[in-house]
This record gives sequence, C-alpha cells and structure tokens, in this order.
Amino acid sequence: MRFTFGKNIFLVFARALTGLLSVFVVRYYYAGKVKISTQRYEHTLKVLNLSNNLLLNVLNIESGTRGYLLTLNEFFLDPYYEGLNTVDPSIDSLSLSVIDNKSQQERIDILRKKIKGRVRIAKYLVETQQQFHLIETDKIGNISNGRIITDSIRDIITAINAEEYGLLKKHKTEMQSNNHNNELSFFLLFLFLIFFGIVMFFVINNQNIKNEKLEALSIYQKEISNYSRSLIEASIDPLVTINPEGRITDVNEATVSIIAIKREHLIGSDFFNYFTDFQKANNTFGDVFKNGSVRNAALTLQNSNGGLIEVLFNGSVYKDAMGNVLGGVFSARDTTEQKKIESELLEAKVFAELATNIAEGQKLKAQNATKAKQQFLSNMSHEIRTPMNAIIGFTKVMLKTNLSVKQAEYLTAIKVSGDALIVLINDILDLAKVDAGKMVFEQIPFNLNTSVTAMLHLFEAKIQEKNLKLVTSYDHRIPAILVGDPVRLHQIILNLVSNAVKFTSKGQIKVSIDLLHEEAGNVTLQFAVADTGIGIPPDKMETIFENFQQASSETARLFGGTGLGLAIAKQLIVNQGGNIGVKSNPKGSVFSFELCFLKTTKTPDLDTEIITPDMNVKDIKVLVVEDIALNQLLMKTLLDDFGFDRDIADNGRIAIEKLQLKSYDIILMDLQMPEMNGFETTAFIRNTMNSKIPIIALTADVTTADLAKCTAVGMDDYIAKPVDERLLYKKIVGLVKKNTPDKRNISNTVDQPPVIRFTNLDYLNRLTKNNPRLMREMMEAYLKQTPPLVIAMKQSLEVENWELLYAAIHKMIPSFSIVGMSTDIEDMAKKLQGYAGARLQTDEIPWLVGQIENSCMHACAELEVELTRIKN
Amino acid sequence: MKNKIKLFLVDDDVIFLKTLEIEFSQHTNFVVNTFATGELCVAALAQIPDLIILDYHLDGIDKDAMNGIETLDKIKAYNPDIPVVMLSSQDKIDVAIKCMHHTAFDYVVKSETAFVRLQKIITTVFQYKRMEKELNWYMERS
Repeated sequence: MRFTFGKNIFLVFARALTGLLSVFVVRYYYAGKVKISTQRYEHTLKVLNLSNNLLLNVLNIESGTRGYLLTLNEFFLDPYYEGLNTVDPSIDSLSLSVIDNKSQQERIDILRKKIKGRVRIAKYLVETQQQFHLIETDKIGNISNGRIITDSIRDIITAINAEEYGLLKKHKTEMQSNNHNNELSFFLLFLFLIFFGIVMFFVINNQNIKNEKLEALSIYQKEISNYSRSLIEASIDPLVTINPEGRITDVNEATVSIIAIKREHLIGSDFFNYFTDFQKANNTFGDVFKNGSVRNAALTLQNSNGGLIEVLFNGSVYKDAMGNVLGGVFSARDTTEQKKIESELLEAKVFAELATNIAEGQKLKAQNATKAKQQFLSNMSHEIRTPMNAIIGFTKVMLKTNLSVKQAEYLTAIKVSGDALIVLINDILDLAKVDAGKMVFEQIPFNLNTSVTAMLHLFEAKIQEKNLKLVTSYDHRIPAILVGDPVRLHQIILNLVSNAVKFTSKGQIKVSIDLLHEEAGNVTLQFAVADTGIGIPPDKMETIFENFQQASSETARLFGGTGLGLAIAKQLIVNQGGNIGVKSNPKGSVFSFELCFLKTTKTPDLDTEIITPDMNVKDIKVLVVEDIALNQLLMKTLLDDFGFDRDIADNGRIAIEKLQLKSYDIILMDLQMPEMNGFETTAFIRNTMNSKIPIIALTADVTTADLAKCTAVGMDDYIAKPVDERLLYKKIVGLVKKNTPDKRNISNTVDQPPVIRFTNLDYLNRLTKNNPRLMREMMEAYLKQTPPLVIAMKQSLEVENWELLYAAIHKMIPSFSIVGMSTDIEDMAKKLQGYAGARLQTDEIPWLVGQIENSCMHACAELEVELTRIKN
Repeated sequence: MKNKIKLFLVDDDVIFLKTLEIEFSQHTNFVVNTFATGELCVAALAQIPDLIILDYHLDGIDKDAMNGIETLDKIKAYNPDIPVVMLSSQDKIDVAIKCMHHTAFDYVVKSETAFVRLQKIITTVFQYKRMEKELNWYMERS
C-alpha cells in the first residue's frame, strides 16, 4: 500500500512540474517578444537618427553653397566641405540600416541620386565661382535649382522616417494585442494552478485518510498475527513448519525447548537431522508432501543433549493462493509422559490385582472365621439348650405340684433365670443368623391386630409388676389381613417393648401402629414404641443399634440385658427393607420403624395365629421320638398336661415299628438320635411308608442349614428346645387340624387298589415352600408346555424328523424331575434323545415314545387333579 | 426395595423358566423378569438388567426363533457390560467354548443343581464387578 501511495505522490508532483514548466515556457516566449519589440524601437531610432544626419549633411551643403555664393565669403565653405565628406557614409549607413526593407531601399536609391545631383550642382557653383565669377542670374538660377532638389531630398527623408514610424507603430499595436493575450494566459494559468492546488489538497487529504485506515488495518493485522503467534507459542506440542526441501522455516517455543537448540539455529537447519531414524523421518515427511497430510506418525526425536523423545507427528502441507505447496506444518506430541503413565498404570494395575487377590484371600479367611463363629455359636447353643430344656421344663412341672411358699419362690427364681438365659441364647443365635445373611423372611398372611395384641399380653405381668401402663393405638384403616413375617415382626416389637419396659420405672409405654400410605398392592405401616423412661444421651444415639451396645456401661449393671435386642430389631427391619429411627429426651424415647406389607384377600393359616389352648381338641395321638430320657419325661409331662394321648419311641427304628402297628395324628421327632436319626426316619416315613402324617422336628440346633434339611426331608415344622409349652400346643393343634381332612381322604382311599402315581410333588412343595400360588403356577406351566411337546414328539416320529424329536425330548427332560416323575422315565427320555441325536433308527424308538407319552399324559392328569384341589 | 438385583431369565422351556423364577423370587434380593424368547429379552434390554440367564437352545421347536448365541450377540451389542450366563441341557464342551467365545460370563448345565450353581455364579459376577470397580478406583488414583 505504501508503494502505491508513493506512486500517486510522484504522479502529482510530475503534474505540478509540467504545469510549472509550461508557465516558464510561456514566460520565456513573451520575454523574447518584448526583446524583439525593444530592438525594433531602437532600430527605428537609429534609422531616424541616420536619416536626420543625412538631412543635416545635405542642408550643410545647401547652406554652405548658398552662403558662399551670396557673400563669397570662404567661411561658408566649411559646412559645405564637411557636408561633402560625410554625406556618402551617411547615406551608406542609412542604406545598411534598412537593408531588409525593400521600399526604404528604393527610396534611398532615389535619395542617393538626388543627393548626387545636388552635390554636382553645388560643386559646379563653388568651383565656377572660385575661377570665374558667375553671373548673377546664373547664380540665382542654380541656387533655386539646388533648393528644389534639397526640398525633394527632405521629402524623401521624411517619407523614410514616416515609413519607420509607421512600422514601429504597427509593431506596437501588435505588441499590445500580444500583451493582452499574455495576461489572459496568465490568468488561465493562475486558475489552473488554483484548481491543481485544490485537487492536490484533496488527493493528499484522501491519501491521509487512506493512510490512517491502512495504519489501523496494519495494527489489527499485527495484533492478529501476535495473537496467532502467542497461540502457537503457547502450544505444549512442538510445532514446526518446513519448506519442501525439509529446512525448518519456523518453530514455536515448545520445539525449542524439546530440541534444546536456540531458535535462530533451528530455523534454516535440516529438520530430519533431529530424528534418530533419518530415513524414516524422511519417508514420513515425503509422504506428507505427497499425500497432503500425516496422522500420528510415531518417530523419535533426538535433542541436542542426546535425550530421546518419543513423539507422534501430525502434519499437513500449506499452500499459497495458487495452490502451490509452500511447505509443511507439523505438530509433534510428546508421548514420553504418556508412555510413562502407561507403564505406571500397568504397574498400578498389577499392584491392584495383587491387592485384590490379597483382599480376596482376607475375605475368604474372614468368611471362614464367620462360618466358624456361627458353627461355634450353634454348637454352644445346642450344648446349653439341651440341659436348659430339662431345667426349665422340670421347674415348670414342679411348680404345678404342691409346694411350700418358699419352694415356689425359689423355683420361680430358677425359671426366670432359665428363661433369661434362653432369651440370651436365642438373641445370639438370631444375630449370628442375620450376620451370616441366613435370615429368611416368610411371606404368609396374618392378622396384624390380633397378632400384635396377643404378643403384647406377654408383657402384662412385667408391666403390672413395675406399676406401668401399657397403651396401644391401632389405626383401623390398616387392612385386617396382611402378608409378611409375623414371627419376625413379633420379635422386633418384643425387643422394642422389652427395651422400653426395662428402662422405664414409672409412667406408660405406648405402642402405636399407623397406616403411613397405601398403594394398590401394599401398605406401609409405621410402628412406634414410646416410653417415659430415662432417655438416651444424644452422643449414644448412633451406637445403640450396634451389637452389644448399651447407652452406657452402667446401664448394663442397673437394668441388665445383653444389648443385643435393638441390634437384632434393626437387622430384622433393615433386612425386610424397612428402617428404624429413635427420638429421645431425658423424659423418654420413641423408637419407630416402617415396614411394607403386601395386601391379600386370603385368610391366615391357623398356625400363624397365637391360639389360646383349646380344650376341645383332646383326642390327639402323639408319637414322641426322643432318645434322651430326661426329655422323654418332660415331653410326657407336657403332653399329659395337654391331655393328649402319647407314645414314646427311643429312636427312629422303634418309631417306625410303632407307626406300623398303630396310627398317630402327629409325630414329634428329635433330630439327633442313635440308630436312625430324625432325618432318616422322616425320609423313610414319607418315601417308603408314603405317609403324610405331620412331623414336628424337635431341635436344639436351629441354624438355617438344619431347618432347610428338615423341610427337605418332608418335616412340617420345628420346635426349638427348650420347648415352649404354648408354642408346642399351638403347633400340634394347628398341624393336626390342618391334616384332618387329608386323613379322612386317605382313609377313604385305603380300600381301593393302590394307584401308581406318576408324579410326586415333594420337589415342587420344597421349591415353592408349600406356597399354593407358586405351586399352581408351576403346575399350569407344566400343563401348558407338555401336551404340545408330546404332540411334537409323536409327529416328529411319524415324519421321521429326528431333529425335531431331539428338540422336543430335549425340552421335556428337565420337567420330569420337577414334577417328580420316576427317574426311569427320565432315563428313557435320555435314551430316546441319544437315538434321535445320533439319527439311529431302532425299533425301540416308537416304544420309548409311547412310554413317555403315556407317562406325560398320566402326569398331566394327576396334576390337573392337584391343581383343582389347590384352587379349592 | 432398592439394591435388588434385576435378573432376566430367558428360556423357551416354560417349566424350567418357572422353576428358576420361583427359586429366584424366594430370595428377596432379586427382581426377576422372564422371557420365553430371545426377541422379547432383547426388546426389554432398556430396563438394564444386572444379569441375564439365557438358554442356549431357544430355537428347539420354533425353528424361526432367534437362538441363544444370536440373542447373546444382540445383548452384547446392546451393552457389553451386561453379564450373561448361558444355560443348556447339553453338557458339551464345544457348546461351552462357543458360549465363552461369544463373551458369555459362564455356562451352566440344566440340572437339579443348576440353581445353586447360578447362585454361586451370580455371587461371582458381583464380586468381579466389585473388583473391577475397586481396580478402576485404584487406576484413577494412580
């Protein structure tokens, strides 16, 4: 832009110079003209002067001649001679001065003749006079002649002068008109100069604005360039531009620092020299110029200190406006750090894996330790319970005999202590179970209100004893029958209420149950137990729900207890998906928890209700299978008390013998016995004798493993030792009542020929935990799937589609064991599957298909019967 | 109610499916969804199951149905992080290997002990997940 600007200025100046030059030329031209006119004037003066001189000479001759002739005085001859001598040169000079004027020359020629004539006359007169005296007349005649000639000479000279004047005058007029033109041209020139000046002003002004704009633009450009540059410099990735020959044209700071060579040395040097593998670098950059760009080319840079830097190169070529490649721009990413991190990561990973392995090992150890602890607790409880059973049992029996007041007091003390010990053991066991995650919650229908009210009766004695008041509040919007685990709910409320009773010395205990919210299928209830006891210090609020924690160590001494109650309650609530909280001040505490129950339309089973002894149920025949004499005696006493008929068997073998001789309504079965233990005996009764007689397990070992085994072999229920009188009664009555209709059925069918049953629902019962809904669903699933499979099997046989036969049998096999079909059928099916799979065509196939079809049809029929029974 | 394990059971054998469903439902920490075909299971993947138990032989009777391996591939294509345990009544090593090649987590033969095995596998799955989580935690810190 600057360059153009200079050119414009030059043009302006050139124009100005031209203008000035033209002014000078014009001026010079007019100066020349002025000089010429001056010369002309001088010339005219000179001609006039010369002509006057000539005239004077002629007049001198005239007057001299005349004077001499008249006076004869020689004195007059002086001018005459002078005139004679000078007249010729005078006329020559005059002639010379007007040599370029033709008309003047002609006049001068005439003049010259006239003067000659005059001079001759004068000479004649003078010379004649001097020699002869002229006569007067002659004298006068010649004088007048001379005068006439002189006059004509005078006239000619006047004419010459007039001509010169005329010429001068004419010239002067010309000059004047020229002058006028000259002024005009000056004026025009002046105008032109003004105009030029204005134009110049605008041009320069414009140029200034342009200049300012340009300057602003250039500042902006500079800023942009600085900004771009700072961006480039700020990049942590080295950026390099090279020309097509591979020479570095520009670098950023990162490049300088990575290669450790000064910028000025870098620029212009050969880029490939900084790589360990010159050839590879050369190829890479060659590719860039060939293909236009390169992505993540891994190269190794070597810096001036000899350090190696792993880099990934990205680059592309840059071009000018015409599309010619000017050079390449490259960005190098230093991957040294990345590789370092990578290896560190790998190390960390290995380390973490090691740590995880160690942790796994530790976990296994911990799990084993927990298992050992649980086993220990289980064993301990067994060892403690067995003797406690006898102690408490006999204490109870003894209390019913005639005793002195003192004896009764002591026995009550023994019983209370024993009960407390059993509670402690049960607590510990429960906690161990929860800890091991073995706590299973039942989902059975129960009546919440009656269930809780009955349970609270247990506290009546204690509350009266402490002179407290028990207030209950029950929200009647709560559906009467709910589905949940009533036993565990009792345990929770029991723990909370016994806690409240323990820490309250006066006032009241309030148990309230409120409906929190109700949904289509379930209800959420809030249970609260409020007391007016000593309260809990705020700093202990957190820990009271932990195992073996009480608010203070003194409380244990003052109020007793193990500190497990709240921990168990919390665990039971949390494991059922609820939550528990506590609010407390020195005037009392409120423990509240929320639990969700399913709604149901079913009526609760009898055995979930706490039923009061029903004296109408008397004629129940009980078989007690128990090896320990003490326990035998205890059971005998209890059953006699209930008014039940009872037989005792020392072990399983004896029990089976007794069963074959006599019919019983229920069996109470100890698990650990010599000869034949409880499991074996039950399995025999169920499987071999095919009896559905209710069996209650008597066990001191109430860990889940054993309970699962009890249900697996077909026992109906269990009772933990030491036996709770009421519970025993309730369970016996409940099971017998439940079994009675069945018993009648069995007795009806006894006379009929034995029917071969194709199905055995033991597995399903076990699987569904006797849940009729699930049973029904399973049976329906079987009935839905099997017939089409049988049809598919038959059809595939007809059309000899072995693949389909294989698939049908394949799908059928797992169902056999589920509905308890004989393993013979399953073996047959497997055989058939084998044939079908191997495409072996044997005569056995149709027979096998027939057998399986027959079995399946029978199984379906049986299940239909069962299904209708369950539905009703 | 939260922290329950969402389980998809896929089997065209309705009886076996029901058995498994019942067994799993009795464990309170499972939410069980059952599907009779692979197509139904794949359609329900948006519910993000924690684990899928998938029968190998889904096209036994209905030849047009998507088989177990195809279903497995679909599941893995949808989200490779969902652990899938393959079930089959065939105790064949090549079937097992095939399942492993298709990135199944494990392979279980249908039998009376299948449920126990599945339980153990599920425990392992979540142990692995936890370990992976821990490992990631370590990695993020290092």
